[in-house]
Amino acid sequence: MEDGPSNQTPADAASERKAAVRALAPVFLAVLPFGLVYGAVAVQEGLTVLQALGFSATIFAGASQLAALQLMGIGAPIWSVLITVFALNFRHVLYSASLSRHLGAFSRSQKALAFFLLVDPLFGAAEARAATQRLTPAFYLTYGVLMYVGWQLATLAGASFGELIEDPDAFGLDFVLPVYFLGLVMGFRKRGLFYPVAGTSLVVSVVVYWLAGPPWHVSFGGLAGIAVAAAVGPQKRTDTAARDDRAGGTS
Amino acid sequence: MNGHALLSDAGWSIGSIWLVILVAGALTYLTRFGGHVLISLLGTIPPRASAALDAVPAAVMTAIVAPVLVSGDWPERVAIVVCVILSLRLPLIAVVVIGTGMVAGARALGW
Repeated sequence: MEDGPSNQTPADAASERKAAVRALAPVFLAVLPFGLVYGAVAVQEGLTVLQALGFSATIFAGASQLAALQLMGIGAPIWSVLITVFALNFRHVLYSASLSRHLGAFSRSQKALAFFLLVDPLFGAAEARAATQRLTPAFYLTYGVLMYVGWQLATLAGASFGELIEDPDAFGLDFVLPVYFLGLVMGFRKRGLFYPVAGTSLVVSVVVYWLAGPPWHVSFGGLAGIAVAAAVGPQKRTDTAARDDRAGGTS
Repeated sequence: MNGHALLSDAGWSIGSIWLVILVAGALTYLTRFGGHVLISLLGTIPPRASAALDAVPAAVMTAIVAPVLVSGDWPERVAIVVCVILSLRLPLIAVVVIGTGMVAGARALGW
């Protein structure tokens, strides 16, 4: 993330853009396969290619796009799909709260665009950049716009390819969603309270799944874990852990 | 996790799908500038609220995955436990590929 020039001279827009491309390149390799996966799963679940692209264009957050698909596929009501997307993306509130301290060089419309593009890796890259030098619109928006375009193209490619797959279950595609969320969850394990929070969510989710069935396990399991964190209160933790653990994916 | 209900079978019309796309997109944008608005109104987020917000992604995603342990067949259950261990070491994309491959392999063998 911190491979930009660390000199003190005010950088011009061209070198800022170059630094953004360098910072983005490795992240692209990690994120684009998930765009492919999302596009393929979306078409398998019965979305048209245009609808699959619509989710990528308006939401631009892989985990919540896949969660929406999952819930829609089991016939969950609209409100529960919307609440789940909102809950999964609620972490962005923290990102934008932190990022807003570094947007002094941004115009009003640049800020509006910057927040629209605010995905996990961009947050990490922007915070790392702001730690050593002034965060410029050229750096931030180059990173963000390229990532956005890449996400749309990956979705399109995945959706086009996904239509060719006859039997997705034979390829284990229905297992992609659970294992993807599992991997994301494990990325948080270094945070304080991870085990009490995840353990509570796990138990409550399974119990509610038994008693009430889907989609209630998501809302109640999630709320139970959040309640534990709120009840115990803030923990000492390193600032970098919260950022680094999410730097690998658009989620 | 076995078998796919197509969205049309699950009662989703074209209009309701586009409604979700637009409203979910608007809600997501709200979260993306909401912190900026909060911080300029409050000055800071209370520590307890911040701790709760920190826990949101892990709590919600754990709740999504958990039923695999009780609703899936044995290949899925074994694969998810193996993936927990793998994810201590391997990057996310590798765990997804290996886990999906295990389930696909087990099904090809008729387990």
